[in-house]
Amino acid sequence: MSEEKKLFKVTIDNITVDVEPGTTILMAARKIGGDVVPPAMCFYSKLQGSGGKCRTCLVRVAAGSTADPRPMPKLVASCRTTVMDGMVVENITNPAVLEARKGVVEFLLLNHPLDCPVCDQAGECDLQDLSYEHGSQGTRYEFKRRTFERIDIGPYIQLHMTRCILCYRCVYTANQVAGNRDHGVLDRGDHAQIATYVEKALDSNMIGNVIDVCPVGALTDRTFRFKNRVWFTKPVDAHRNCSCCSGKVRLWMRGDDVLRVTARKDQWGEVEEWICNECRFEKKKVSDWVIEGNTKLDRHSVINAGHYTNVVKPKETFKDVMKGRDPKLLMDIHEVSQVNTVDLNVLPGPATAATFNGNPNATGTNVTDVKQGTGRNLAGTDTTNAH
Amino acid sequence: MGRKVLLDKAHIEGIRYYDVYRKNGGYAAVEKALKMAPGDVVEEVKKSGLRGRGGAGFPTGMKWSFLAKPEGVPRYLVCNADESEPGTFKDRYLMEFLPHLLIEGLIVASWALGSNRTYIYIRGEYAWIVDILEQAIAEANQAGFLGKNILGTGFDCQIYVQRGAGAYICGEETALIESLEGKRGNPRIKPPFPAIKGLYDCPTVVNNVETLAAVVPIMNLGGEEYAKIGVGKSTGTKLISACGNINKPGVYEIDMTQSVEEFIFSDEYCGGIANGKRLKACIPGGSSVPILPANLLLKTAKGEQRMMTYESLADGGFPTGSMMGSGGFIVLDEDQCVVRHTLSLARFYRHESCGQCSPCREGTGWMEKILTKLEYGKGQMSDIDLLWDIQRKIEGNTICPLGDAAAWPVAAAIRHFRDEFEWHVTHPEEAQVRNFGLAHYADPLEVAVG
Repeated sequence: MSEEKKLFKVTIDNITVDVEPGTTILMAARKIGGDVVPPAMCFYSKLQGSGGKCRTCLVRVAAGSTADPRPMPKLVASCRTTVMDGMVVENITNPAVLEARKGVVEFLLLNHPLDCPVCDQAGECDLQDLSYEHGSQGTRYEFKRRTFERIDIGPYIQLHMTRCILCYRCVYTANQVAGNRDHGVLDRGDHAQIATYVEKALDSNMIGNVIDVCPVGALTDRTFRFKNRVWFTKPVDAHRNCSCCSGKVRLWMRGDDVLRVTARKDQWGEVEEWICNECRFEKKKVSDWVIEGNTKLDRHSVINAGHYTNVVKPKETFKDVMKGRDPKLLMDIHEVSQVNTVDLNVLPGPATAATFNGNPNATGTNVTDVKQGTGRNLAGTDTTNAH
Repeated sequence: MGRKVLLDKAHIEGIRYYDVYRKNGGYAAVEKALKMAPGDVVEEVKKSGLRGRGGAGFPTGMKWSFLAKPEGVPRYLVCNADESEPGTFKDRYLMEFLPHLLIEGLIVASWALGSNRTYIYIRGEYAWIVDILEQAIAEANQAGFLGKNILGTGFDCQIYVQRGAGAYICGEETALIESLEGKRGNPRIKPPFPAIKGLYDCPTVVNNVETLAAVVPIMNLGGEEYAKIGVGKSTGTKLISACGNINKPGVYEIDMTQSVEEFIFSDEYCGGIANGKRLKACIPGGSSVPILPANLLLKTAKGEQRMMTYESLADGGFPTGSMMGSGGFIVLDEDQCVVRHTLSLARFYRHESCGQCSPCREGTGWMEKILTKLEYGKGQMSDIDLLWDIQRKIEGNTICPLGDAAAWPVAAAIRHFRDEFEWHVTHPEEAQVRNFGLAHYADPLEVAVG
């Protein structure tokens, strides 16, 4: 083994962490966890070159390093700034950072329609979370917002540029994961748009991943659009043998129906492994999958009435860090809007319409006992759905 | 009479062509530089105290010495001729009338930096200048100053001219590099800086046309001699492109010993305000820098005479000062409306924002809409505060300086001319039919004209 690498000490909001050289401030903060992690709308750790664009992750560097403890003159994008040994970073402890972030949220929402109730992404939208946590109550914008026609790119994906915040994630995905350049940005400034050149359908087998990386409802799954609200569906982890991807997916079920298939996302909203179009769009039967068990819901999810497992609770020092203020956590959103009072995690099977209509114990009839988490292959055992 | 070292030969008939240029002492700097070690040339530029003429005023010698020199990796020199700043047209003059001066400077700089492939990235609208430059390059090739084994030193260098497609943002050095590579002209996130990872991920230096042209007199005179021109840290000469309501718009070379008052009112330079009007305000360094009202333009907040130097123009910081910028000197007379003027700048920045990062993309459009509202008599008092808040949230929060450049003119206009904005709110009808502003800002020093 090579000699041990020297680790850099970084202090973010009074919490110190050791990270490897070359780590960005954002990734160091994710190592700490909790609410000292700056929000990121455009950065995606699995996409090379992403980040730096949305400016929501701005932080102040109070001391550059031990060797050069001068503060940085401007706020920096934490997703693209690498740490130095002895760096001191202020995120939520600095009012200027919060103020700048509030400004960025306002800019992002400027041309974004405020019609979450009719948007398919509502409930799992990064921008919705962000504006709840960091935005202000009303808008100061009184002009017409830019609008675009909806475009179907291929049989599976719909693009609605009106909702796009130009994070460029899908462009990087199309380049790096799907591996073709039919997809990019046209025009510039506030009329810039994501486009497939000459409306070309994207025919790569991995292109469905652009739906997963999209932080807003600009790229949506045509096989799922308006079939259901996400908070009424129950996520279940499943896998299958797939020739072109790992086959590890998340099924979004209602009753015995698989309504949607997505990749598995981690607590930062990033997919764990890319999945192919066949898994995502073609395999909509329970019998196609090996069910592994309930998905553990984390802080990033508003779909499950505050019944989270895996919640990263703020550290003990958090109250000191916030100077006595109570943290405003996403999980508190249920005090504001009672989206769903059913505890899906303790249900033995997928929910049905009856579950939400006054009979919280009603479940699907012929699905594995996912509560025990044993996991059983349904293929062959399911006589109603198999063929 | 200020000293001239760049434009001193501009009046000679046919100086655009190699034979005439050579006869008048051209390419002496190349002959001198190629006898020196590259490091010594960099030292000489360092000694001259030359500062970047593109806007930021960063010391050129320092920039050159930051260039990484890893083994086996080519290094590039790129000349930034994407001069798109409203009010700035000095590089155009230089390239159009003295193309060989730029080529000569480029050869010297390429030698100093070890660049075998040097690019001139020129603004797309300067289509006819491309022909002039390419002809000059062909002539230099023929004379043996470019190509293989220049002057028997074994140094190869070739210069290529690349036309941009008319985007202001491509004047930002990393966006320029992206565009030169054939990609969409989006600025890169720094660090890494181009000196480490620039064109094709190789170490790159990007310099303005005037900066590279100034290398020629530095070689001819010697760094120390060049540093004697000018005042303090503002060494050498600077081209100022004067425009607006003045009697003699044009490109002037100053040696930075002039005061602003002298520059505007003396017959040697701008020749005073046109049509016998009075001076109201001025943008001293191209559209991105803060506008100054007449009283703060001629005298600093401390009551000292304001000089045409980097330091004096920046005196007082942004509250009471401005910047030398790229030398686009825009003069406004008493009839000009600051609100309308700010609107046209905001419209420019909205149109030129690349759309990559959100504060600039959304903020510039928002500012333009509010300014349109104010200008056409539909505004409210709260809009002025809103405008102030928006610019504050754009400034410093963007990837590249275009966000700052869009925010500063709006900030300065509100800071210095707030009651003109308020007048637009309180007199909506008048604001629509009459396009003047408030004349009481004009000429507090009562410099008699006409």
